[in-house]
Amino acid sequence: MASADTILKLDNVMKIYILGGRKNAKKAQKAIQKLQKQYEKLSSKGQNAPAAEAAKTLKQAQLLFTQEKYEDSYRAVTGNGLKVRRRDRGAVVHALNGVSLDIKAGDLMAVMGPSGSGKSTLLNMLGQLDQPTAGQIFLKNQNVALIKRRHLPEIRSKELGFVFQAFNLVPTLTALENVMLPLKYSGIRLSRRRQMAKEALKQVGLADRLNHRSNELSGGQQQRVAIARSVVNSPSIVFGDELTGELDTKMTADVMSLVKKLNRQGQTFVIVTHNPEVAKVCRRIIYMKDGRIEKELKK
Amino acid sequence: MFRRKTRTLLTIFGITIGIFAFTVMGSMAEKISLLVSGGTKYYADKVTVSGSDSLFISTPLDINKADEIARVQGIRAVSSTIFTTLKKTMDTVSFGPPPGIAASDYKGRQYDTFPISYQGRELQAADQGKVTVGSDLIDKLGAKIGGKVKIRDRDFEVVGIINKTLTAPDNEVFMTLPDAQKIYFEDLPQIVQAQTKPSELVNGFTVYPNPGVDPNQLAEKINKEVSGVKASGPKAFQDQIASATGIFNAILFGVALISLIVGGLSVINTMTMSISERTREIGIKKAIGAKTRHIMSEYLTEAALIGLFGGLLGWGLGAAVVLAINSATEKSGNVIFLLSARISIFAICFAVILGVIAGFYPAYHAVKINIVKAIREQ
Repeated sequence: MASADTILKLDNVMKIYILGGRKNAKKAQKAIQKLQKQYEKLSSKGQNAPAAEAAKTLKQAQLLFTQEKYEDSYRAVTGNGLKVRRRDRGAVVHALNGVSLDIKAGDLMAVMGPSGSGKSTLLNMLGQLDQPTAGQIFLKNQNVALIKRRHLPEIRSKELGFVFQAFNLVPTLTALENVMLPLKYSGIRLSRRRQMAKEALKQVGLADRLNHRSNELSGGQQQRVAIARSVVNSPSIVFGDELTGELDTKMTADVMSLVKKLNRQGQTFVIVTHNPEVAKVCRRIIYMKDGRIEKELKK
Repeated sequence: MFRRKTRTLLTIFGITIGIFAFTVMGSMAEKISLLVSGGTKYYADKVTVSGSDSLFISTPLDINKADEIARVQGIRAVSSTIFTTLKKTMDTVSFGPPPGIAASDYKGRQYDTFPISYQGRELQAADQGKVTVGSDLIDKLGAKIGGKVKIRDRDFEVVGIINKTLTAPDNEVFMTLPDAQKIYFEDLPQIVQAQTKPSELVNGFTVYPNPGVDPNQLAEKINKEVSGVKASGPKAFQDQIASATGIFNAILFGVALISLIVGGLSVINTMTMSISERTREIGIKKAIGAKTRHIMSEYLTEAALIGLFGGLLGWGLGAAVVLAINSATEKSGNVIFLLSARISIFAICFAVILGVIAGFYPAYHAVKINIVKAIREQ
């Protein structure tokens, strides 16, 4: 019995598990059990060298499996060595230059930095609005590169939420209809999505503005509708790109207290901002410069 | 769709004009095609003999020619006929054959396969002073069964009304041969009148072939064996009519093509403008999970609705014009249009399909929009 072959196969299975996410956990568990049996068989036959090799791999696999299983429970999004290169008037621009970061479930993270430092580019990559030139993104431990492109809209509607600087509500729709949109794209039936959207708007304090169009709402109210739209599907993470950029100080404070309230309820937020007051509210602050993470502060 | 009301309405009107033209021209072509198919059925089993090359207008013939024609082998019966116009002079422009007087001695009528039914009764050879009236001439003549109608200043009793055939008999009054001979005689120049008598006059013969005899071949045989007449089989009718209907079909095709191009381009223009104005909105929708089918269906539905509204409006206007003209011309016995269900359904479906096809390119363009660039767009 060539134990090296078995070990190699196990190694592959673990790789698949790590890259492929939770759906391959059973495969990995079975492979570990099989390796355990192989080890016992080799030991009982007195084949010491292969048995030792199998034992070593078994230990590594068990450790890896335990870690992955544990990390599954708290990892929302991971970026590994993300690079984005673009051509701008003939010159190559490194918008992201090898960024790696883990965003854990329940995080409230601010991304700061000067204009052109790569904040929004990072957000677009993590939020699956764009593709990196190099590097990997894991969404709940699942390598996004392995997901077929046609399934990305479904991921965006179910797992990710977005709030933009300019509110970006559909002007012809009411607040309620705007919040119902991602639910419609997720295939939820009308009565259920109406109910869910009403609850989300109630949560952001707009229960009395359900049938108002965006031009009938203030900037702060519009942004609250946008936040309701971003959280209505209970996504793994909500990305906010300068979400208070067009709001005055009072409205900014209102919106950020809402974000904090939702975060306390377990919603993960990553917010790109120039505003130190917004960053103050966040527990993690990442500073970016020239497409790299310059430093990170944790509270 | 109605964010830019004026632009959308103008696009709808673009399609409306095309479908209006299609409905009107289509109804005209439908009427012609019914006349043609009725004529094809009428001439299918017989040979028509006249004094000239034309199938419909003939010079006077001697009634005794019937005996000469009957001697040709393969003939079952020869019927002497007169066809002339209802009015001595035409006072209106006629669409299709003008309202006419048709008369026959009814020999061989039992061999005629063209189906005609009546309210009242069919005319008999001995019914002098009596007529049956085609359905399109009821109003024009004020005909009712048992009543009198005035034709060429003579009174006739109406014994039957011909049920609608959707072809030539609808526009004809049937009378006995002797009555028609008197009318026809009066139409002739005095110099001709001086050389003949009404009872010797006809302007055509209907020849019924024996079973198994090809009417086209029989027509050729008559032309060879009988001098001074022109016999025509069913093929001659089809040949003469085919060229006329071909022109109409070409006009109809042209109208449809113009409506396709004008309507289609205006839908493409409107949808492209609309999508370029809504780039940011499309980006947002894609960012929050809209799939290709959501974006495609949204814009294709909009294009289809523009087509549907334009189609319904165009069809409605076309139908109104067709009905108005038909009702105005009905009294003169000159019905021009037939707005059939198939023309109506085709016109509306055509408009919707046109909208969808024209909307496909802009919708596809919307699907391909880059999310990040779209969201940044002001």
